[in-house]
Amino acid sequence: MNLVEGWYAVAIADDIEPGTSAGTRLFDRELVVWRDLAGVSHVWEDRCPHRGMRLSFGFVRGNHIACLYHGWAYDTAGQCRAIPAHPDLAVPETIKVATYHSAEASGLILVHSSLGAEAPPPPAPAPTGRALRSLYVDLAPDVVAERLLRDFTALDDGSYAGTLAGAPVLVFLQPFTATRTGLHLVLAGPGDSVAVSAAAEALRNAFEASSAPALEAAE
Amino acid sequence: MRTRVEMVFLGDFEPESFAEFMRHRAGRLSVSAVAGRIDATRVDVAVEGEPDLVDMFEMACSLGPIDCLVREAYRQGQGR
Repeated sequence: MNLVEGWYAVAIADDIEPGTSAGTRLFDRELVVWRDLAGVSHVWEDRCPHRGMRLSFGFVRGNHIACLYHGWAYDTAGQCRAIPAHPDLAVPETIKVATYHSAEASGLILVHSSLGAEAPPPPAPAPTGRALRSLYVDLAPDVVAERLLRDFTALDDGSYAGTLAGAPVLVFLQPFTATRTGLHLVLAGPGDSVAVSAAAEALRNAFEASSAPALEAAE
Repeated sequence: MRTRVEMVFLGDFEPESFAEFMRHRAGRLSVSAVAGRIDATRVDVAVEGEPDLVDMFEMACSLGPIDCLVREAYRQGQGR
């Protein structure tokens, strides 16, 4: 299984409330996911151009996010608009955060893994999808993808369709790092969300347990 | 308003590393930085731009990249 450039889920949309931010990773790149007070979500490189502080530690004010360190404030395009220590300065356009293409679908925040000027359209939302929870597995993303394929069907949008606790689910895989994988679970039809959540937890535990002997043998 | 200053940094330098650091910071801050002398102990650079941004460039270079150590920084004509 070779995970390629494309759209990946990085958070459950409802978990990022307006005015908040959170850090995550995709292919080991650090990202900030934040939502402005107008309700629009953004996914950027998690690094202030000034001193490299994580913007996920910053403050959202209106439609700006400000760095915790020195308060440099960035608009929704990633452009720095204010430097508190130099209030009269016309901030040059070169002071800008690298931004990713992002979208929301099926109750998830999705990001395109490339930093290019354009990205293909994001996956269409599941007709009846409801994001349920996120789990993180201490295994390589390609290993988790192969495990999922034993019981789930890979769809064109990159998700995996199957059933948990008798309910239809979609699983969106997030290549977090080389050794850690996020799984974002969407309930795609009627089902007991508590039972589905427990089944997903059991699935995660099974993935990690089945890899343990191999790891010990390797050591 | 733009200003032009001649900056001098003294210390222990990896010349290529410091030069790349200056290029990156100058681009980020929209100032022009034309290096004169760059060697293992001294860097001379002419910087032009908005005064606040020139100050930021000086501060950034005073910290420098991880493999360089700036021991002293001053501007030509303003004494050490």
